[in-house]
Amino acid sequence: MTEPSAPLATSALEPWPDAVQWRRVSPKLITVELIGRTTFVLVVLFGLLIGWLLNGHWLWPAAMAVVVVFGIWRSIVTFRAVKAWGYAERDNDLLVRHGLLVRRLSIVPYARMQYVDVTAGPLERAFGLATVQLHTAAAASDARVPGLPPEEASRLRDRLTALGEDRAEGL
Amino acid sequence: MTWAGAPTDQQQPVGDQPEPRKRLHPLSPLLHGAKSIAVIVAALSWQTLSQVGLGRFALVVAVVALGVVVFSVISWLNTGYHIVGRELRIQDGLVWRRNRAIPLERLQAVELRRPLLAQLTGLAELRLEVVGGSKTEAPLAYLTVRDAAALRERLLALAGRTGTGPSATTTDPAARAPAAPALERPLVRVNNRDLVISQLLTPQALFLPLGIAFVAAQFVLEGSWTPIGIASTITAMAGVLLQPVRRILQDWDFRLARDPEGRLVLRYGLLDTRSQVVPLNRVQSVGATWPLLWRPKNWLHLRLDVAGYAGPQNSNERRSDRLLPVGDLPTARALVWEVLPGVDLLALPTYPPPPRARWLHPFALRYIGAGLSPDVFVTRWGLLTRELSLVPYARLQSVRVVQGPIQRLLRLATVYGDTAGGRSGAAHDRDIADAWALAEQLAVRARLARGPAPLVTDRSAAPEQDAYWRRPGAP
Repeated sequence: MTEPSAPLATSALEPWPDAVQWRRVSPKLITVELIGRTTFVLVVLFGLLIGWLLNGHWLWPAAMAVVVVFGIWRSIVTFRAVKAWGYAERDNDLLVRHGLLVRRLSIVPYARMQYVDVTAGPLERAFGLATVQLHTAAAASDARVPGLPPEEASRLRDRLTALGEDRAEGL
Repeated sequence: MTWAGAPTDQQQPVGDQPEPRKRLHPLSPLLHGAKSIAVIVAALSWQTLSQVGLGRFALVVAVVALGVVVFSVISWLNTGYHIVGRELRIQDGLVWRRNRAIPLERLQAVELRRPLLAQLTGLAELRLEVVGGSKTEAPLAYLTVRDAAALRERLLALAGRTGTGPSATTTDPAARAPAAPALERPLVRVNNRDLVISQLLTPQALFLPLGIAFVAAQFVLEGSWTPIGIASTITAMAGVLLQPVRRILQDWDFRLARDPEGRLVLRYGLLDTRSQVVPLNRVQSVGATWPLLWRPKNWLHLRLDVAGYAGPQNSNERRSDRLLPVGDLPTARALVWEVLPGVDLLALPTYPPPPRARWLHPFALRYIGAGLSPDVFVTRWGLLTRELSLVPYARLQSVRVVQGPIQRLLRLATVYGDTAGGRSGAAHDRDIADAWALAEQLAVRARLARGPAPLVTDRSAAPEQDAYWRRPGAP
């Protein structure tokens, strides 16, 4: 609860600076995402390498170079993208914002909550992270907070469920 | 072995003792089988027929048909439904047994469908729309029309938050068969001539002569009259024409009424008749569309979004979302007033995005807009096909602000108001400060419209009753 509670100071996506205290997701998420991406890039590279050995056409190494460049670019973006994730609990709703190229902010009232998902993949678990997702009846609602330490995740889950019950209406 | 039909079962008080499981109508396996056989024959296609000869083809079809019917009968034996408390429980499945409990508080709308074969045999299919289902939950196919109507009435009475007592006593299954709509207040009946004209005024229908001319010219010039060419041309033509024709068949004889409990009752369809009951507080949003070609006639189309009907990614024809397939403005205005009490279609001010959004929409800027009326979030969109969407604040599920890279350069953002109906009201390209204000306003207004828990029921009940008596005087 120490890291993520640090308030963020970004202006472009901060609609109500005085009323909202944004919380960050854990920086360990960067490592998780980087490992995931590296694995993916390595698998693709391996496939391309086999193709190159079998075929020998110059397009294979070119494709490998493209994949490497793409991987490096995405990794650089990841640093900033993880820092751009933020969530805030207000009295009646949860705010979640994310995205660098396309910036998104979701305002989801607790009263509309249908259920809360807490998930943790193997890699996330290894780093002690979890993802909390709030589902409403609208499929378009987009309230997913990745990279939370387990205790913060369960706190958020419990708080969301408690608030959801208080203000329950659903539809 | 009590399959649906014993009228004494229908009038049992609810929840006292577990009622026996009921079967679907014994003819239903045959109807299901007929459907599958048609599909199989279509799949085997003419090509197979020409290859194996008529006799063998008939044999294959007969064997497959027998198999399908046997399978259907066995699955019919395994299918049953009953009401337990405020739940409808349905068991089905042959290999994978499935036991579904559908909580009736979550019931959004009930549709009674009668496909052609069912009409011939006097049966009907009951479809329940429940939130969260990506597809229609639990089609009960098939029941007799009377059983289906009675069951629907019972389910709706259980689903309504108003106590089951009074509505159960007023509900006489015999009187409420769809053939005899007692005490309903008709609202709209769409003229079939208008419907046909409206579907002729679609791009598909208008381009048909052009397409025929093109194909004919090609045939004349190339001189190639191969059967495959002709067949594929006809298929393509049918594909193009299918949508308007299907629309006409589906929306034929469209009638809309309010039943005594204030719910909307929609009936439409020629080959596949549907009768749909939607409680007013289940309406998630209403949309109006002015297609370009309908503009000389001054016609528009109204759409009703109910949660549970599959989202917009589903094919458009299958959705049961019509509120008015075609109609003029006064009709639509009166109808919107009925569905969203207090909302006047002609008095919905919207504000356009700032002029610099012209970079993104060089022509359409005048027709884009968003506004906050006292009860609904209003958004407009579209240059050729103008659209207007009305989302009641009380039905907003979440609010999103999205800003793409170009929008960031122009300091613009788009605000979405999501509903459970799958469609969102979108205020495109607002000024960034305006967007934040709009998002905040939507969040606050949605909260006020929802109100604290006890107020919600008051609110959802009171305006309906009010507006029921206080009809729009002006339009």
